[in-house]
Amino acid sequence: MIYSTSALSIGVFAAFVLAVLALSFWLGSRARSARGYFAAHGQVGWFVNGIAFAGDYLSAASFLGICGMIAFYGYDGFLYSIGYLAGWIVALFVIAEPVKRLGRFTLADALNSRFQSRGIKVVAAITTLVISLFYLVPQMVGAGALVKPLLGLPHWAGVVMVGLAVTVIVATAGMVSTTWVQFIKGTLLVAICSFVVVLILGRGFTVAEPPIPEGAVQTYRKDSAGTFVNGQPLAESNQLDSRLREQHGVGFGSVASLPGGASSTGPLGPVEYVRVFADSTVTTWRKGTDSEGSTTYTPMERKGSDMLLPGGSPTFKGVRADGTASKLDFISLMLALFLGTASLPHILIRYYTVKDPAAARKSTVVGIGAIGFFYLLTLYLGIGAMTSGALDPTDSNMSAPLLARTFGDGLFAVISAVAFTTVLGTVSGLIMAGAGAVAHDLLSDAMRLELSDAQQVRAGKVAAVLLGAGAIVLGIMFERMNVTFLVGWAFNVAASANLPALAMLLFWRGTTRQGIIAAMATGLVSSLVWILLSADTLEKVYGYSAADAAAGSLVPFSQPAIVTVPLGFATLVVVSLLTRNRGVATLQAA
Amino acid sequence: MIDSGTQSRNARLGLVFFAAYTALYAAFVGVAAFGTFSGGTADGGLSATAILGLPWGVVAGFGLIGGAFLLAVLYATLAARGGRG
Repeated sequence: MIYSTSALSIGVFAAFVLAVLALSFWLGSRARSARGYFAAHGQVGWFVNGIAFAGDYLSAASFLGICGMIAFYGYDGFLYSIGYLAGWIVALFVIAEPVKRLGRFTLADALNSRFQSRGIKVVAAITTLVISLFYLVPQMVGAGALVKPLLGLPHWAGVVMVGLAVTVIVATAGMVSTTWVQFIKGTLLVAICSFVVVLILGRGFTVAEPPIPEGAVQTYRKDSAGTFVNGQPLAESNQLDSRLREQHGVGFGSVASLPGGASSTGPLGPVEYVRVFADSTVTTWRKGTDSEGSTTYTPMERKGSDMLLPGGSPTFKGVRADGTASKLDFISLMLALFLGTASLPHILIRYYTVKDPAAARKSTVVGIGAIGFFYLLTLYLGIGAMTSGALDPTDSNMSAPLLARTFGDGLFAVISAVAFTTVLGTVSGLIMAGAGAVAHDLLSDAMRLELSDAQQVRAGKVAAVLLGAGAIVLGIMFERMNVTFLVGWAFNVAASANLPALAMLLFWRGTTRQGIIAAMATGLVSSLVWILLSADTLEKVYGYSAADAAAGSLVPFSQPAIVTVPLGFATLVVVSLLTRNRGVATLQAA
Repeated sequence: MIDSGTQSRNARLGLVFFAAYTALYAAFVGVAAFGTFSGGTADGGLSATAILGLPWGVVAGFGLIGGAFLLAVLYATLAARGGRG
């Protein structure tokens, strides 16, 4: 697709980004000490921290990825919304208050609170860095997707812009500026998306006229001779949806029929909107390849009620198959989403920015309210995009911004800028978590370097710059992947590596330092190896065909949590039992 | 600072709420995986109509999201009653 840019879009975008950067510089003067840099002095108010939780958590995956997945596959995207929100239950009821009590700057502080072990510090720092990098990639991919239509720049340019902006934010004022960027972003995201949903409900549904026939296949080919759409060179006047728009008045993603043969519904209430959608038929597009190697997009009419059921996407298609084995991918991912949230280092470090466990609890409740409300909106945003006639079939991540464009360039500019700020907020949190792991856990605690407060802050800033550079490279490499899918991997790794250690530390007195180290290492390595050997990775990262990937995969399903989380718990219990006497003997000797 | 008795009480309360929500979430995942399709065709479960003409999939999804918030508010209220925290 070719996207045209406008001065309005560029102006709004520039204003948003510059305002965020200016705020960071202004706040930079407030964070000179390590406690100020890594934990915002522990003085952030619980309400601000709660909204900052939303700003931290509602990443490109939540906004761009989920909306895109619902727009393309229906209910499967909403399953991510349910799972992501459910994970906060674990955070609030099990993890929040103890983590606040036990820690100071990082996840490793809490895990190490009983043991004073360098081994725990090293392993926890490594898991933090790996999980943060896994989570960073989709954010950067989302940024790259955004600048294409907004500024007319290639994917890599967006990735570099986010990388540079975030590095400036984190390197100037650390957690203080990160908190406020996340607060602003969380507020804007929920407010703007609410506004868009109001517009979606006000517009209702309209049937494409004349109907798009089954034979209206659109083709796309990119080779050394250039890019061709329906056999003709790609141009402003010949884009993938140009022919559809000429003949049917809409592009990709439209309503084929409404209940009672109506041509339009007019404004609808939130319940009525979903009910009418369920009783309607929509035109979706199946991606394929023709004999000449061109990518084909073939129209397919599907009932709305079917789009509101799980199993419509390649990720969850096993739900519709018979037999337990085919459903394990789905169950495992839902388990990872449930357990992963409370194990994400960039979320956990937000608990150190408030003054006490009660504030941690209250801020989590505020966060759940804001995040939950946003996830309710995703169903409407996704269905709105699915029926907007404005989808880009080559890039599901662009569904929400392109939906906004159907309401005017102004809203498109604002929502794209908010989405970009979304990426900034989450990436800032991730890089803060990584910087804390390097400067505080590895250099200061594990390597026992005598770092002054100022030197710890400087080390954190250098680590932030290096992490930012790494994120830029990875964001460019993974351009074509759906960002929600990538975040699913991060949740699997986080749940496998961190949750068994955190939970057992809190609830089993028999936990030993060796048990924690072994559980974290086992969870991290086993989940990473499982992911790297899975059919999904073979297909989506290494480029195998779906059939070859399924045949070549060395693991029975792609999402590892259902195996690797219990493995982490089992490892901790076994190693703790084996090493418990050693700990007692040491204490007695002392 | 809150005393250790209040801490323990809040921890127990948190675990009860956690168990209740986990049961609901597990039931949802179980019905989605095993109770909605038979032979590749939607048959009951999340495809059945729940209330207001909406399918169970949507009602359950909204319920799990809204229910999480309600439980969170209830927990925060009860935990705050136990002490200054």
